[in-house]
Amino acid sequence: MRKSYVNNNIKINEFDALIRITVEMSKYLYPYIREILKSKEDIEENSFIWNDFNKRFIELIKERFNIDSMKVKKLLNQAENDEIIIKSLLILSFCISNQGYQKLKNFLYDF
Amino acid sequence: MIQNKLSFHQSSASLEIIGLPDYSNNENKDQISIISQWNLTIVDKPLIEGKLEHLRSIMDAFYIYSNLLIKNEIPIYKSKLIDIKADNLHIHNIVLKSSKPNVKPLVFNIGNSLLSDIINCFDQLNESPKVRIKKTDILTNIPKKLRFGLNKKVKYFNFFIPPFFAICSLILFSSSFIYFFSPLENIEKKELINPE
Repeated sequence: MRKSYVNNNIKINEFDALIRITVEMSKYLYPYIREILKSKEDIEENSFIWNDFNKRFIELIKERFNIDSMKVKKLLNQAENDEIIIKSLLILSFCISNQGYQKLKNFLYDF
Repeated sequence: MIQNKLSFHQSSASLEIIGLPDYSNNENKDQISIISQWNLTIVDKPLIEGKLEHLRSIMDAFYIYSNLLIKNEIPIYKSKLIDIKADNLHIHNIVLKSSKPNVKPLVFNIGNSLLSDIINCFDQLNESPKVRIKKTDILTNIPKKLRFGLNKKVKYFNFFIPPFFAICSLILFSSSFIYFFSPLENIEKKELINPE
């Protein structure tokens, strides 16, 4: 899915390290994640946070991902990507505890 | 006897546990092993309180529901005490049924932000060394898919393919140089040796 000509598989220790970084970042960013989720709940009153986040998310995807891939096209489609974004944010918000690493790992294996 | 009180906060949700230490187990006086009362306060929502068995049921309900929500399965949880279902992707409908007769069930909606606050309060309780409660092991179970995880598997295909190709190419290349036994050529040689 990424813009890369090298198709290397991620190693297990790299995967673990990425999970640990993600969990630590989620702890730090929890108030922001919560506000984005809340903004989507009452979109009529408080839509700008969600819109800003969505805009930036699409910008980053276009910049770093292979936009010819069907999976990436799905991520860019605003009608379809809501569910993927909300579920991803929910997973991050559920994994901010001390056992967050194990929880996120289990979620990813089950995803 | 003065009861211990512990609170776990996460943004708009707050969980309070009241109880006593189990002195027969030589526990510290600030420990809670015998939970006598608990309450969950959510901003702008009714207060939820009950006995220990209610707390366990509610915690299990929220953990199972959050798992269903993420795993793309139908997000509905039903039990004697609590029902949770998704109204849509952002709103979750909760029905709390009282164990006392002739008491109407308590119905309210929460959004994703409140759901994550509640889950985080329960996580804090589960991880707290000061409260001894039967741990919810729903999320600590390692899924079956882990067995086939990432690079741990031995890639037999990749292991055998290079030598297989090497042998095949060797056979193809060397086959062009095979010396075929030709009987005609042999007779000609014999004639040259014995010209008679």
